[in-house]
Amino acid sequence: MTPAARERRQVEVPVLLVTLAAWAVLIVRPGAMSLSNSCCIPSTLQEGLSTMSLHMLMSRNPLSTLATGWLLMLAAMMTPLLAAPIRHVMDRTLARRRWRSVLLFVVGYVAVWIVAGVVILSTALAVRLFWPHSLLPIVAAATVALMWQCSPWKQRCLNRGHAHTPIAAFGGAADVDALRFGLTHGVWCVGSCWALMLLPELFAVGHIPAMAVVTVWLIAEKLDRPSTPRWQWRGTGKATRLVIAQTRMLLQRG
Amino acid sequence: MAFTRENVYELGGDWAPGILWYARGVAAMKAKALAEPTSWRFYGAMHGVDTKLWHKLGYLPTGDKKPSSKLQKAFWKQCQHGSWYFLPWHRGYLIAFEANVRAEVVKLGGPADWTLPYWNYFKPHQSALPPAFASADWPDGQGNNPLFVTQRYGPNSDGNVFVPVSQVNLKALTIPQFTGVSSGGSPGFGGVDTGFSHGGSVHGGIETQPHDWVHGLVGGGDPNNPQIPGLMSDPDTAGLDPIFWLHHANIDRLWEVWRRNPPSHVNPTDPNWVKGPGNVGERIFEMPMPDGSTWKYTPGDMVDLGNLGYGYDDYAAGGAAIAAPVQGIAGVAAVETGKHVELVGASQGAVPIQGGDVSASVHLDKAVRQKVTQGIAAAAAAPDRVFLNLENVTGTSDATAFHVYVGLPDGAKPEDHPELQAGSIALFGVRKASLVDEEHGGQGLTFVLDITDIANALHLTNKLDVDALHVRFVPVTPVPKEANVKIGRVSVFRQGS
Repeated sequence: MTPAARERRQVEVPVLLVTLAAWAVLIVRPGAMSLSNSCCIPSTLQEGLSTMSLHMLMSRNPLSTLATGWLLMLAAMMTPLLAAPIRHVMDRTLARRRWRSVLLFVVGYVAVWIVAGVVILSTALAVRLFWPHSLLPIVAAATVALMWQCSPWKQRCLNRGHAHTPIAAFGGAADVDALRFGLTHGVWCVGSCWALMLLPELFAVGHIPAMAVVTVWLIAEKLDRPSTPRWQWRGTGKATRLVIAQTRMLLQRG
Repeated sequence: MAFTRENVYELGGDWAPGILWYARGVAAMKAKALAEPTSWRFYGAMHGVDTKLWHKLGYLPTGDKKPSSKLQKAFWKQCQHGSWYFLPWHRGYLIAFEANVRAEVVKLGGPADWTLPYWNYFKPHQSALPPAFASADWPDGQGNNPLFVTQRYGPNSDGNVFVPVSQVNLKALTIPQFTGVSSGGSPGFGGVDTGFSHGGSVHGGIETQPHDWVHGLVGGGDPNNPQIPGLMSDPDTAGLDPIFWLHHANIDRLWEVWRRNPPSHVNPTDPNWVKGPGNVGERIFEMPMPDGSTWKYTPGDMVDLGNLGYGYDDYAAGGAAIAAPVQGIAGVAAVETGKHVELVGASQGAVPIQGGDVSASVHLDKAVRQKVTQGIAAAAAAPDRVFLNLENVTGTSDATAFHVYVGLPDGAKPEDHPELQAGSIALFGVRKASLVDEEHGGQGLTFVLDITDIANALHLTNKLDVDALHVRFVPVTPVPKEANVKIGRVSVFRQGS
């Protein structure tokens, strides 16, 4: 193993453990974070929407459950994407401040995703309220996600998510820089992932498998290097080639 | 057939047959259209290309037909920088280029064993640009010498092209490991473990010095417009200058020098290096050959120069003039570098480089600083190494070059204190590394300089146990404000056990 790979592993192992722990909770208690429909909500808008329906929906999806579920979802889906920026924070910080800086980075990053979560979960709840049994919202969201996936704006977000900015070494400036790095990294991460993150929330059934597919997709597209923004298909290129190359190597060993 | 690359200054004259045939071969390649994969400009674009810059410099006339997008995607923008692939990729690039020139030479009736010469600017009296490259004329006085380019401005950007011997060194040859880390410690002799890296962030030892420095000083910048680099100063134009290939032949030779001396210097055996970026699902290295075929190679294919049918006439590092720097500090240079890398201190905020001298203070953490001084005092079997990092260097001018001094007393003249010179940095590749929507994501370049010797010297005079270390940047030529050159952070790291 190379010296650089050894250093990467020091962060990748704990990141992997957190990710696996989050997935273990999700698999053991899938109800911990999936949105519930209300049996009393009218199946069509024409039947009328009562305040009672909304209350019923919220009673089945209390804020505390929504928040816990969202954080669990972030831990499962976003943690694997944080190995490189966390390593940057650790590498460029005084040893005695490393965990403090990483914590501030994570706080900044999660704060952005919590704000995004309010919008994403509100959208998902609205869909449950207005179109509880319709596939139309999923089709519409998938179309939007597909268009965003191919757009130059998505590439701009991905590119900026690869940048690792300098961090001050001492005092309050170091704290501010770590927090700021988390916030900006979070903004670009939300910018590139929001459409894909909305999709699993719309699945009343198969929520966990949908999350798994999106997670693999997000990891795959993160493997690609920054490039010139333009309309193009992105997300599977390097990952596919990587799988083929590694499979070929395994077969050659066999 | 085995090919031996020879010193351009020792071929037997300014226009010795080897140089004359090179010029004829270059002329033949230059005569081909850009769209032809074996043309001069196509090979230049394989190293790097920026169509706007090429157009501005006159290398891409309006309406000139480009190769198909398939060819561009396969071959262009391949050069490996800031990566452990830097040396093997360039070795293959040289071999393929040489084969194309040789094919043209043979077509013109030249020798079938023609070989690319190298420029060993370290040797006494060989630091000036080889005369055949400095003349606008062929040896018979006729113009249009293909080895001559106008956009080659030299270290003072005045057209006098040479490599200032006092500003280059071969300290990289003392780095024991081929590959290192990107966390502030030694990046190794050959660079850091990366995937396909058309411009990585952290440059390895031999890449920083002498590679980058010679690029920057030979190319220089247009004195009338410092934003316009000399061809050699920018990776997107460097391959268009015929001297590029002789410079890289010397870098390739130095790789072989490092590997042979001492024998404990070994190339990586990690599969991701040996099998190249294709092993991790990325672009592979491929070159268009004169018979129309495509040669695909891996770094593993490049390790044995003899098996490739190549050799050099001289495996001495440089010349007598640079013997001392190669040796480094006795008992230290050959020691393996420790695995533990730790930040000692950093500047508060970014450091803009504008005009002449620029100073910065690197504030040191007391506890970690004491670790460094204790490590020096203990003189352990594996003593700490100390590294100065110039992080996230951004700007718009690749022609920028500056010397870095550490611990220089206030008011002291830098030239009076060569012992405090940490190194010299040329910002080869900084323009592209600063663009947000390019491969670097806009985070710029990071340079790592080994300042262990200086830290030892400062410790012996009680100047290391201070709250802040003064770092001074002395540009070779004044840096214009428009170049926007900025060091994101100046930091000091220790690497030890």
